[in-house]
Amino acid sequence: MEKFTSEKEWSVAMRINHWAMALSIFILIVTGFYIADPFTVSRGETVGKFLMGNVRFVHILFGVFLVFLFFWRVYLAFFSRFHADWKDFFAWTNIKCTIDQIKFYLLITKKGPDYKTLYGPMQSLAYLGLMFMVFVIVITGLILMGAGYHAGFTAICYKILRPIENLMGGLAVVRYVHHLFTWFFILFIVVHMYMAFWYDAILKKGTISSMISGNIFKKLEE
Amino acid sequence: MAKGNNSEYKKMIDKQYKDLMKHCQLHMEEIEKNLPEPKEDLHELLKERGFSRRDFVKWTSAMTAALMLPPIFRPMVAKAAESFSRLPVVWLHFAECTGCSEAFLRSSYPNVDDILLETISLEYHETLMAASGYQAEENLEKAVKDFSGKFICVIEGGLPRGLNGKYLTLGPKGKTGIQVAREVTSKAAAVVCIGSCSAFGNIQSAKPNPTDAVGISKAIGISTVNIAGCPPNSVNFTGTLLHYLMFGSLPALDGLGRPVWAYGKRIHDYCERRPHYDASEFVEEWGDKGALKGWCLYKVGCKGPYTYANCGKVRFNDGISWPIMAGHGCIGCTEPGFWDTMAPLEKPLDEKTYGGGERTVDNIGIALTGAAVAGVAAHAIASGIRHKGDK
Repeated sequence: MEKFTSEKEWSVAMRINHWAMALSIFILIVTGFYIADPFTVSRGETVGKFLMGNVRFVHILFGVFLVFLFFWRVYLAFFSRFHADWKDFFAWTNIKCTIDQIKFYLLITKKGPDYKTLYGPMQSLAYLGLMFMVFVIVITGLILMGAGYHAGFTAICYKILRPIENLMGGLAVVRYVHHLFTWFFILFIVVHMYMAFWYDAILKKGTISSMISGNIFKKLEE
Repeated sequence: MAKGNNSEYKKMIDKQYKDLMKHCQLHMEEIEKNLPEPKEDLHELLKERGFSRRDFVKWTSAMTAALMLPPIFRPMVAKAAESFSRLPVVWLHFAECTGCSEAFLRSSYPNVDDILLETISLEYHETLMAASGYQAEENLEKAVKDFSGKFICVIEGGLPRGLNGKYLTLGPKGKTGIQVAREVTSKAAAVVCIGSCSAFGNIQSAKPNPTDAVGISKAIGISTVNIAGCPPNSVNFTGTLLHYLMFGSLPALDGLGRPVWAYGKRIHDYCERRPHYDASEFVEEWGDKGALKGWCLYKVGCKGPYTYANCGKVRFNDGISWPIMAGHGCIGCTEPGFWDTMAPLEKPLDEKTYGGGERTVDNIGIALTGAAVAGVAAHAIASGIRHKGDK
C-alpha cells in the first residue's frame, strides 16, 4: 500500500479570495455581455422596468468587489503569514524547468520537472497574466464607472485615471479594451479548469479539493 | 460637508464666492481702462433686433447657470456681455468646412448669443471680411501688431503636417497654415479652438489621414482651449469668452483642453432618454415601435455614453432641439478621433468598421474558446492513453 500525507497548501484567506474572485468574475462576465449588447424588454410600462439599471448595479457592485479582491490578493502575495507567494509568480524564469514542464504538458515526457515553488513554471506565467488581466479590467472598469458617477471614491479614482482615458483615446476605446479582456478571462477559465482536473487525474494529489480543504496530498516515499 | 457644520460650510462657500466676486469686479474695471471702447452699444442693438430688457436678463440668468456660477454673478455676466465687443478677436480658418462659423452666425432668428458674436470685434475673419489678397494680409498683420498680447485668437480647422505643411497654403504670400498659426498664436493672449477640426483634427485626421492633419495644439505644440464639437454650441464659445472677460483667465479645462463647465459630463448623463436605457427599452431599428415611443437609441448607434458635451442641456437653435431629441443618436463629435473610434455612426460599437468592432472580438473569442475546449478535450483523451496505468 502506498502511503500519503496531507499537507497544508492554501491558507483560509487564499481560498476565500479564490472562490470570491471566481464568483465575481462569473457574474461580471454574464452581466457584462448584457450591458455590451442588451436585448429590449418591450412588455410593460417604463416605470415598472429597470433591467439595465439592475444589471449595471450588479455589474458595478461585483466590479468594486473585484477591485477589493485584487488588492487583497496582491497584499496576500507580499504579506501573507502562511506563505507570501510573490516570488512564486516568477517560477517561469527558470527556462530549463519551463521547457521540461511544456514537454510534460505535451505528453512528450511522462514525468514533469520537480520545482520547489508553489506554482509550476507555466502556472506562474498564467497567474501573472491573470493578475495583469484583472488589473487592466479593473482600471478600465473604474474609468467607465467614474464617467457616469461623480461622487465619493469613484470620483477620486476617476480624477486619477482620467489621463489614462485620454491616452487610450476616449471612452469608446476604453470600453473596447474592457470588452476584449473579458474574452481573455473566458479563455483563462477554460484552460485553468481543465488543468486543475488534469492535475488531479494525472498526479493524484487532490488538486481540486485542495482549493476547498486547503490540503494537498503527497506520496510518502519509503 | 459634515452634518453639524452646515453653517460653517456655507460661510466658507460664501467667502469663496465673495473673493471671486471681488476679483471679477477688479478685473472688469481694468478691462474698462485698458481695452478700447465698445464699437456698438449692445442694448441698442438688442432693441433693434426686437429683444426686450427682460429677454436679456433671462439670458444672463441662463448663462450664469451654464457657467456654474451662483446668481449673484448675473450683473457681472451682463456687464461682461456689454464689454463683449471690446475684446479684439482674430479668427483664423485652416483645414475645415467653415461650418462652425455658419452654425454660429445663422439661426432661425438671432438669439443673444448670436448677437454677441456679431458684435464681437473681429479684426480678421476670412469668411466675413471684405478685404482680400494683400489687403487681407495687411489687416491680419496690423491686428496682430496693434493688439499684441491682448487679442484672442480663434481658430477653426486643423493643420495638415504632410509635405512640410504644404497641403494647406493661404494668402497672397503662400504661407503654410502652420506658419500662419505660429505667427499669430505666438502674439495672442489666448488661443480658442472652435470645432473638433482645430481641437483634435476631426475628419481630416481620420484614417488613413493622407495629409497628416492634426489639431492645433498637437501641430504647433501650444495649449489651447478646445471648444470641441462638429459644430460646437455657440453657448460654449460665448461662455468661455465671457469667463475670460469676467475673470481675466480661461475657465478650468479638462485633460483635453475642453472647458469643464461645458464638457464635464457625458451626453448619457444629461440625456432625456436615459430612463429608457435603464429600463432596457431600446430602439431596435429605425421607425419601429420603440422609436415612436422615444426609447433609448443605444442599439442604433448612440455614442452618448462615450461623449463629453452639454448638448442635452443647452441644446441647439435657441434651445429648440438637439440630435437625440430629434430621434438620432449622438455621433460623439466632441471626442478626439471620433470618425475612427465611433464609426459607423448609426450602429453600436459592436459593429465598428475600423480595426474590428466588438462583434469581431466576440466572433474571434467564441472561435478561440471553441478551439480551447476542443483542444483540452483532445488533450484529455491523449493523456488518458499516454498515462494509462499510471499510479
